[in-house]
Amino acid sequence: MERTKIARDLSRLIGKNKVSVDEALLRIYSKDPLGNVGKALAVVFPISSNDVSKVVQYAYENDIKIYAQGSSTSLAGSSLPLEAGIVLSFERMKRVLEISLVNSYVFVEPGVRIDDLNFELASKGYMFPVDPASSSVATVGGAINSGAGGMRGAKYGTMRDWVLGLELVLPDERGSIVFSGCKTLKCRQGYDIVRLIVGSEGTLALVTKAYLKITPLPETVIVALAFFPKLEDLMEAVVNIKTQRIQPYILEFLEKKTAEIAAKSINSNINIEGHMLLVGIDVNREAGSRYVEWMKKILIRHGAREVQTAESWEEAEERGLFNIRRSLFVAQSKIAREHYKNVKDAKVMLLIEDIAVPPSRLVEAVEGLKELEKKHGFITMLGGHVGDGNLHPSIGFNALDPKESKRAEEWFKDLIDLAISLDGTVSSEHGIGLAKKDALRRELDARGSVKLLEIMGNIKKVFDPKNILNPGKVV
Amino acid sequence: MNNNLKSWLKKETSKCMFCGFCEALCPTVRFGSHRGYGPRGRINIVLYLSEEGKYTHEALNSLYSCLLCAACTLKCPANIDIPEVIRVARSLYARNNLKEKEEVVIEKEVS
Repeated sequence: MERTKIARDLSRLIGKNKVSVDEALLRIYSKDPLGNVGKALAVVFPISSNDVSKVVQYAYENDIKIYAQGSSTSLAGSSLPLEAGIVLSFERMKRVLEISLVNSYVFVEPGVRIDDLNFELASKGYMFPVDPASSSVATVGGAINSGAGGMRGAKYGTMRDWVLGLELVLPDERGSIVFSGCKTLKCRQGYDIVRLIVGSEGTLALVTKAYLKITPLPETVIVALAFFPKLEDLMEAVVNIKTQRIQPYILEFLEKKTAEIAAKSINSNINIEGHMLLVGIDVNREAGSRYVEWMKKILIRHGAREVQTAESWEEAEERGLFNIRRSLFVAQSKIAREHYKNVKDAKVMLLIEDIAVPPSRLVEAVEGLKELEKKHGFITMLGGHVGDGNLHPSIGFNALDPKESKRAEEWFKDLIDLAISLDGTVSSEHGIGLAKKDALRRELDARGSVKLLEIMGNIKKVFDPKNILNPGKVV
Repeated sequence: MNNNLKSWLKKETSKCMFCGFCEALCPTVRFGSHRGYGPRGRINIVLYLSEEGKYTHEALNSLYSCLLCAACTLKCPANIDIPEVIRVARSLYARNNLKEKEEVVIEKEVS
């Protein structure tokens, strides 16, 4: 259908200032961090569930595709308008509607940014613990739809563990508004539709409101930053920590070379004397020094050469103990750009991967990754959430060089094989989107479970019989 | 657009990785009516303009609502000189499109 007609019709339905077909604007809403450019016909900015419902009714009637977007930071291509269609941007639905400490929930619209939500909760001593690296800009709705995780995943899990109930607009002829789940922590409402929607990447229904669980902020967190000459020793330390009747708040790892580059990129004065392990344990303030000494002993006993500690979160911030880990993304992009600085007209792309293996198999995973580095000749940056076995190996490549793009593809395929062979998974917290459809199939195939793809395809048809919601993604 | 400056704009804006980290620090994006009021939007609109895109109404709103405060540059992993991109894009627009004393007017839009 013609763009101007869509704009005219939608303006009449929900209001002129909520619809745009401005060409420059369409360009922005057609892009994603993987470098893809899609085809937004119109961008719509709903401010209520009713607006969303009206847009869905219109799209259903006219067979127009709808692509929901939060802040378009997905690393799996989840929010790209692959075929021509309407981009439904939730950025104006960003209210925190209710915070209930006694009921342990917060009630929000999908466009609120995760960090903004946490600023509000922190003033009451609470938090929403799912913390993807993009939390400063990522929205709650995007996190629900991608099934996001983060650094605190080993302790708190991912989005599927924190969503209580969802208001949904269904892609049917009425654009039905329904509520799935409960306001209570316990809820047995037949089949678990809430957890089906979490991680469904906008392919089944549109999330217009959410009840999320909240939890108290820890009184404080003690921190240890350790460097191990031997990777095996670091992993032994992780296994030991994980079997000591504590659940670390943070357990993060950077391979030595990656840590060096990351430290250099922020002019850190911390000496990188091996592979880096960052441990945080939430404690009462009175117990801080006892835990610090205990943790230090464990780390040194397992071969750490250098251990820096802090008895509180504030002290760790002051001394910059988190900074090297936090600069992983900057380091990843910096090393990739420097590598191509003498290549004329290079389009440097970062492939940031998201595999997970059982933590007991992390040594094998890291060794396997080093072999892939040798085999394909890409400098591999390696770090991740070692507490739950989630690794984010990344490579940079020149997307304008067909040979190199092909090699990057091969690296990706081998990486997927590696994750599968170690009883792991191909996507931990980024989602399937466009980028991992084939990888998902291979994982299920390896487990003799391809039948599940058929079931997923049927679920999609039940929710979205006309295939108007984010077509071509996930399954 | 002047060719040298235009090719510089294209080269600089092509570095954008679309991560959006800049938007967390931008003072204008929260008050604008869409993502074009943030640095990621501006950079990608300038890229679009440098590839013969049109100076649309929203493109001008985007370019001229920037405060040039440079907060975004603190978080840009691609090290794009965002304020300089905006300055150059504005001056090229003014030179080629505005008559003497004419100004670009941005509508006040409330989201």
